[in-house]
Amino acid sequence: MSLLERYYQPSESQIPTVSHHGEIPSGQPTTTITIDGQDVIAVVGETILRAAQRAGMNVPTLCDDEKLAPAAACRMCLVDIEGSERPLPSCHVAVEPGMKVTAKSDGLFQMRRQNLEYILSDHNAYCMPPCQVGCPTHIDIPGYLDLMSKGQHVEAARLVKEVLPFPYALGLVCPAPCQEVCRRGLVEEEIAIRQCHGYTGELALEMEEAPTPFPKKTATGKRVAVVGAGPAGMTAAYYLALDGHAVTVFDRLEKQGGMLRYGIPEYRLPKVKLDKELNSVWQLGAEFRGGQELGKDFSVESLLAEGHDAVFLGIGADVSNEMRVPGEDLPGVLPAVQFLRDNASGIPVAVGQGTRVIVLGGGFTAFDCSRTSRRLGADVTIAYRRSRKEMGAHYTEVDDAEHEGIKLEFFVAPVRVVEKDGRTAGVEFQRMELAEPDASGRRRPVAIKGSEFVMECDVAIAAFGQTPDLEFMEREQGMRKTRRETIVTNAAFMTDRPGVFAGGDAVIGASTVIQCVGQSKLAAKAITRYLEGADMAEVATEIAAEEQVPDLIDIVPYKPEEPQVRMPFLPFEERAKSFALIELGYDKSGAEKEAARCLQCVCPDAGRCDLQRLSLEHGLTNNRFHRAEPVDYHDYEYDFSHDFILRDLNKCINCTQCVRICRDVIGANCYGLMGGGYDSIVTTPWNVSLSYTDCVSCGACAETCPTGALMMRERDLQTYELDIVRCIYCGDCVEVCPHGALGETPNFELSTYQRFGVTVLAKEELAAAKNWKPSEHIPTDAETHRSPVRPPEVRPPGPPRWGA
Amino acid sequence: MPASAVALLGGARVPANGEIGPQEIIDRVERSGLRGRGGGGFPLWQKLAAARANAAGGEAFAIANAYDADPDSPLSQTLLQRNPEAVLAGLALAARAIGARRAFLYLRPDAEAEAAWTSQREGLSIEVVRGPGGFMGGEETALLAVLESKRAMARQRPPYPAAQGLGLRPTLVASAETLAWLPFIVGGGAEPTTKLVSVTGAVRNPQVLEVELGATLQDILGKAGGVIGDLRAVHVGGPTGGLLTKEQLGTKLDFDSLRAAGTHMGSAQIRVLGDGVCIVAEAGRLFAYLAKETCGICVPCRVGTKRVQGILEGITSGLGRNDDLPWLGELGDHLSEFSLCGFGITSASILRTSLAAFAADYEAHLGGRCPTGTCAPTRTRRYEMMAQP
Repeated sequence: MSLLERYYQPSESQIPTVSHHGEIPSGQPTTTITIDGQDVIAVVGETILRAAQRAGMNVPTLCDDEKLAPAAACRMCLVDIEGSERPLPSCHVAVEPGMKVTAKSDGLFQMRRQNLEYILSDHNAYCMPPCQVGCPTHIDIPGYLDLMSKGQHVEAARLVKEVLPFPYALGLVCPAPCQEVCRRGLVEEEIAIRQCHGYTGELALEMEEAPTPFPKKTATGKRVAVVGAGPAGMTAAYYLALDGHAVTVFDRLEKQGGMLRYGIPEYRLPKVKLDKELNSVWQLGAEFRGGQELGKDFSVESLLAEGHDAVFLGIGADVSNEMRVPGEDLPGVLPAVQFLRDNASGIPVAVGQGTRVIVLGGGFTAFDCSRTSRRLGADVTIAYRRSRKEMGAHYTEVDDAEHEGIKLEFFVAPVRVVEKDGRTAGVEFQRMELAEPDASGRRRPVAIKGSEFVMECDVAIAAFGQTPDLEFMEREQGMRKTRRETIVTNAAFMTDRPGVFAGGDAVIGASTVIQCVGQSKLAAKAITRYLEGADMAEVATEIAAEEQVPDLIDIVPYKPEEPQVRMPFLPFEERAKSFALIELGYDKSGAEKEAARCLQCVCPDAGRCDLQRLSLEHGLTNNRFHRAEPVDYHDYEYDFSHDFILRDLNKCINCTQCVRICRDVIGANCYGLMGGGYDSIVTTPWNVSLSYTDCVSCGACAETCPTGALMMRERDLQTYELDIVRCIYCGDCVEVCPHGALGETPNFELSTYQRFGVTVLAKEELAAAKNWKPSEHIPTDAETHRSPVRPPEVRPPGPPRWGA
Repeated sequence: MPASAVALLGGARVPANGEIGPQEIIDRVERSGLRGRGGGGFPLWQKLAAARANAAGGEAFAIANAYDADPDSPLSQTLLQRNPEAVLAGLALAARAIGARRAFLYLRPDAEAEAAWTSQREGLSIEVVRGPGGFMGGEETALLAVLESKRAMARQRPPYPAAQGLGLRPTLVASAETLAWLPFIVGGGAEPTTKLVSVTGAVRNPQVLEVELGATLQDILGKAGGVIGDLRAVHVGGPTGGLLTKEQLGTKLDFDSLRAAGTHMGSAQIRVLGDGVCIVAEAGRLFAYLAKETCGICVPCRVGTKRVQGILEGITSGLGRNDDLPWLGELGDHLSEFSLCGFGITSASILRTSLAAFAADYEAHLGGRCPTGTCAPTRTRRYEMMAQP
């Protein structure tokens, strides 16, 4: 005989479930307890947790729901009760008169933190992708990698272009701050994020018309002038053109691209393909005027006078900084920017076969100069005043340069350029050493006295960074510059002169392409808002909110190891004297395979997740349980087969709320704690799809789940229209709907199901709004070749199909 | 042995006690000072009195736990073979004391012979139930869950079963050994001075013994024929028990002395570890067992035992670091403070005793050497602290 039948009664009958919001219902007997020294009035028989919540105290908990019997599973709500040997779960202990409770103490905090560390060490998922946070453009990396892994490359390119219009070029030249923080690196190796969008970008180049992230908006009639056709200007032009403005791009050089064309050598970025990608801006209707110099051929003043409603200054930073040593004016001393520009423009440079070249500096430009010189046949040495790890260039660039036969000289600073016969004959250096750490803890290099030596050379290239050329500002009104020779803007990228915006290197000083793109994307948004007449202070707040860096917690990822898919590179022996592209790029299968390695560190529940909130509150920014053996972690299959509820067991923390709510409140009893020991997990019997259980799709489990383990499926807007002529208002459809999606209101005609609730719209409203159209074409059953899955009571859109 | 003393395994005749009323039973148990033999040592009379008061004449249940959760300590099994009448009579007395009309004899899953027993005495029906197997199946609240046709999982206390037990009615759960004392105490005035123990491991005659409470571990090992070879440690109290050193063999076998020594009565298994046993590896094996047996409901026990196992295996695989030892201490404290039931709470004693008394073993491993030369690496990776870059 089953005892369950006879004796089972849900234990919540033992505890009065009184709403913990608001007042104590009248007529309830009360008692007073002390929590953290504060007197709290509690209903007799309710739990300490409920009393604390009513008093507005935040006792952490992950397995409590007022509808349910307590499970005491998460061990987060444990409190010290006077007279008790050990902490007890406040969700489980009923109040007693005069009880003295400590809910907040250092000891409890540490223990709860330990608990969370355990939970996060077996929570094989992640809230927010650090790569997306790390990239200045905040590109949806997990999103496009997911699309790529499914072979939807054009769609991936579209997604990338939402914030990054030039994925091919950036795929080759970006220093990839995203990859440095990639969480796959905690498993084995980071994802080749940069090369992946490079692949989609390259694919998009082969299309007749470049894909756009969204359709170009209708013309606004506003005119915007963009000064500078480099990464900053072209990005701004791209988004401004998409927003429907008439955009004209000016550049003092003949061709488009700015530093991408004239600064980055051919072997890193082939210009034919760069042009193809940049042409997407002209495809959107923007206009290019090359060979027009700001301050000479036109001015900001004249642009505004000509009828431009706004001006964007993306003039970059292309003046090489001076060496500030004697002899730098000698022939044979070349500024880095000019050297690269001349070489890119086809103007002969003073470097050739056998020339001895010294490149001074350790940034990207220094390596571009030295590797270019090497390809021209020179014998190159890079001299840098600190060590290898302080170099501004990416370490791969440093390694490659060395392999290409470039010599590196560290801890040397130039003292003067040595002259012979009126020409450069060498550079005198001083050896440097690191001083004792200063107040900020940094060790500055200082010269060693008497360590001077001369290194002979024919050409010295100075690559000590660049500054913007702001000469034009002397003749302009109402704009200011900083001491560092950059343009001053407010948080909405507007200069002191209304309508004049600036972004990129001209504002932040010489930086990376991706930083300029990220800034210009925001500046374009600000310009559009300006042209709409928005309050710029408000726009600045919007931008600040968008750019807010979210807090990240450290969760232990587990996936079987799978090394990065190696991308083919041009062999070193083929690089001598060749400006052929080094990074050969992924092929289709390589790109898809690499994209599939992404851990998809993104959870739709982020921001609503209790585990995330508590982990942030408890400062879980690191975890001590990383990188052990596979047996120490779990990697479950998803169950996304149910029509309404998504299950991801990787996120389950065994709080058993879904078990209890489904059994005790709903009555379907779909879940249980299965497996044994450490491998216990809440799932369906025999781990079958939820579709095969008695699930009634009520969504109570997803609602109560404290993490993203159970979530309502994001659903496309589906509309069912009623044929008003044929409806007899029998109400049968309302009766039969198991979910109450159709309400019996006087004017319901149409129902839509959305993620967070049910919206019922009246047909009259829709009829009134004549221009209402579904955001996407709703396929009919005939189109999808599916049998009708809708309830037959509600007819699909379109004319009635007689006799169907 | 005092005149009134009884040996449970000695086949003493179970006295009749037909006339004694419920309150008198409780009073006599109180005077005898009988403490729970299941491992906790809780005074039985308090459980009886609480269950009786809570039932207040209503429905109540009495349960004899004869499950033997620790398979190496078959105390109930031995008792039921040698003196079944004492257990059944005791259960009937307990039921009478609390006013229960239904009682259960809860057995391990392979108890084929006993499963056939059913008993009707004095209007009490005693039902025989076999548990699901596994270490957790014997935990008193997991046992209640099993009787309610649920997964064998522990339930938070308080409320104790004497207040809310089976079907949320007052329930007495006592071990078969405790209950076996009842007829002798109530009807015969016996003093409960002995305890069944299971001596296993490196002794000449591993067996279940009945020993005087207060006998030293040394004496008990002598009764089991003595230790084979050198003794390195005694593991007292079953899988979650602590590890005692050779020097601690003078520890008396009673509830309080064992607790003072850092372990507990538990399943009353006294396991001798010979000189070839590395204590760190032994602790790792124990936690591996616990991580397999935990019921999975509470975080400290489900994840904690696995993580402690991982750290210990890291140490025995030559991947240990100095700060692993304070870390283990910290995780042990967390296990004992924050776990839901005795399983997690007592498992910390493995860490506490071994870290205190066998620090040399840990140190040797940290220095790259197994103290007994018996450890082979079982893992190539240890837990690492990694912060998000």
